[in-house]
Amino acid sequence: MRGRKGLDSTSAFIYFSFALIIIFFGGPAIWVFSLSLRVPAEIFAFPPRIIPSIVAWWNYMDVWRLSDMGLYMYNSFKIIFFTVFGVLLVAVPASYAYSRFQFRGRQSTLFGLLVFQMISPLVIAIPLYRYMDQMGLLDTHIGVIMVYIAVQIPFTTWLLKGFFDSIPRSLDEAAMIDGCSRYSAMVRVVAPISAPGITAATIFNAIMSWSQFIIPFILLTRSHNFPVAVGILHFQDVTTETQLHLLAAASVMAMVPPILIFIGLQGFVVKVLISGAVKG
Amino acid sequence: MSAVARTGRALREKPWLWLLPLIIIVGIFYLYPVLDVIRLSFTNAHLLRPQYIYTLRTYERLFVSPGFMHMMRVTFIFVFASVVFQLLLGLVIALAVQAGIKRGLRGTVLTRTVVLVSWVIPGIVIGLIWRLLLSTSSFGIINYILYLIGLERVPFLYVPGLALFSVTLANIWRGTAFSMLLQYAGLQRIPEEFYEAATVDGAGTWQQFRFITMPQLRPILFLNLVLITIYTFNTFDMIMSLTMGGPGRSTEVISLYAYTTIWRQLNLSGGAAIAVFLLAINVITTLVYYLLHRIGAEQEVE
Repeated sequence: MRGRKGLDSTSAFIYFSFALIIIFFGGPAIWVFSLSLRVPAEIFAFPPRIIPSIVAWWNYMDVWRLSDMGLYMYNSFKIIFFTVFGVLLVAVPASYAYSRFQFRGRQSTLFGLLVFQMISPLVIAIPLYRYMDQMGLLDTHIGVIMVYIAVQIPFTTWLLKGFFDSIPRSLDEAAMIDGCSRYSAMVRVVAPISAPGITAATIFNAIMSWSQFIIPFILLTRSHNFPVAVGILHFQDVTTETQLHLLAAASVMAMVPPILIFIGLQGFVVKVLISGAVKG
Repeated sequence: MSAVARTGRALREKPWLWLLPLIIIVGIFYLYPVLDVIRLSFTNAHLLRPQYIYTLRTYERLFVSPGFMHMMRVTFIFVFASVVFQLLLGLVIALAVQAGIKRGLRGTVLTRTVVLVSWVIPGIVIGLIWRLLLSTSSFGIINYILYLIGLERVPFLYVPGLALFSVTLANIWRGTAFSMLLQYAGLQRIPEEFYEAATVDGAGTWQQFRFITMPQLRPILFLNLVLITIYTFNTFDMIMSLTMGGPGRSTEVISLYAYTTIWRQLNLSGGAAIAVFLLAINVITTLVYYLLHRIGAEQEVE
C-alpha cells in the first residue's frame, strides 16, 4: 500500500485535473473581470496581461453613471421581490395539499406540473405577447411578474412537496387533536419546520428569476423597464469596441449578485437541489 | 375524537381550495397559452393582422421548407454534442471531486465551487463572456493561447461551422455544472462497503469503476441525460448574446428559429407550429424522465 503522507501519483493526477477544471471553468469569468479593470488602451494591448498595469476600478463607476445598469438592477430586484412573494403564496398551500391529501387527479396534475416545468418559456411567450397586448399589460412590470410567478410555480411546488413529505404526518394530526384547523396546523406546525425548504425555494426562485430572459425580452419593449438580463443585451448593442471595458464591467455586475448568494449558501443549496432532483 | 377518526376526516378533506391559486395562475398563464399556441399553429395568422382562417398549410409548408431541415440539423448537432460532453465531463469532474474528498485533498471544495458558479451565471452573460473570449481581437484570450502554441487566428464566430462549435462549447461550459452535481449526488449514494468488499477481493480501480460505480450510477446517469437534453433543446438566451443565430442562420437552434419566424418575419402561425414542435419534444422527454424516475423510486422501496 502506498504511504498516506507525501504526494502519490494518483493524488498528483487528481491535483492536475483540479487545475485543468479550475482553469476551464474559472478562467472565463476571471478574464472578463480582468477586462473590466483596464483602461481602453490596454484592452487592445498585445500581448494581453491578466493583471492590468493600471487597475481601472473606476470603470464600474462609469458604468453606474453613464449607463442604465443601476435602473436595470432596480427593475430586477423589484420584479424578483414580487415574484418570490407571489410564488410562495401560491406554492406553499398547493404543495401542502399534494403532500397531505389523497385525491383524484393528484398524480396526473403533479405530472402536468412537471411538464410545465420543462416547457420552454418561449412557447407560452408567443400567445402571452398577444394577450398582454390586448389587456394593455405589454411593457408593464405587473404583466411580467405574473408570468414569472407562473414559470416558477411548478418547480417550487415539487421542491416544497418533497420537504413537506419528509415531515411526519403525526405532527399535523397532533396539532389538529389539540384543536388546530388544517390551515393553522400548516401555518403553525409544518411551515416553521420546513423553513429551510422555503428558504431554499426562495433562493432558487431569486437566482432563476435573475437569469430569466425570454419572458422580459418578449413582453417588455421600452428599455427603462428592462431587468438586468435584457438590459445588458441592450447595453451590448449600444457599446462600441472602444467601450469594451464598460461592457465587461457591466457583465461582472450582472453576474455578481447570483454568484454571491450561491457561494454564501452553497452547501445548503447543493443539498436541497440534490434531494429534489434525485429523490423527488 | 380518536386519531384514527381524525385521519379519516383528513382523507375526506377537499384539496381544491388549497390548490385554487395554483390552478388559476397556472391555468391562465401556462395551460391556456399552451393550448392557444397549438390552436394558432393550425391557422394562417400573421403577427400584425388580426383575421385568420384555420388551415393545415402552415405545417405542410414548414416540414418541406429547406430552412426547417437546416434548423433541425443545427439543433441536433448542438444538442447531441452538448449532452454527450456535459455527461462525460460532469462524470469525470464528479469522480475527481469525490476522489479528492476521500483523500482529503486541499482545493476540492474550491474546484466544486468554481464549476458550480458557471451554472448560476445568467445565460445572457455567458454568451457575452464567450463572445469576448472567442474574439479575434487582442482581448480574445483563446486566440492568444492558440497563437502561443504557434497556430493561426481562428475566426470562431464568423464561419458557420466554427460558430456552431463555439456555441456548443459555451453550452458545455454552462451545463456541465448541473450534470456534475447530479452525478456527484449519485456517487455519494453508493455504499462504501461495496468498495471495501471489492478491495478485499482484489479488484483494481478500473474494475471497481466498471463493476460497482457504473452499474450503481446508471439510473442517475439516465435521469441526468434526459434532463440535460430538455435543457439544451430549450437553449435561447446564451445563443442570443453569443451569435444571435448567425453568421447567416448557422447557429439558429429551434427556439431561435421560432423567435425569428414570429418577430422578424411576423409569421405568427409558422412560429407557433415550430413552438408546437418544441413543445412535443419537451413533453415526450418529460414523459421519459417521469417514467425513469418512477422506476427508480420503486427500486428504492424494494
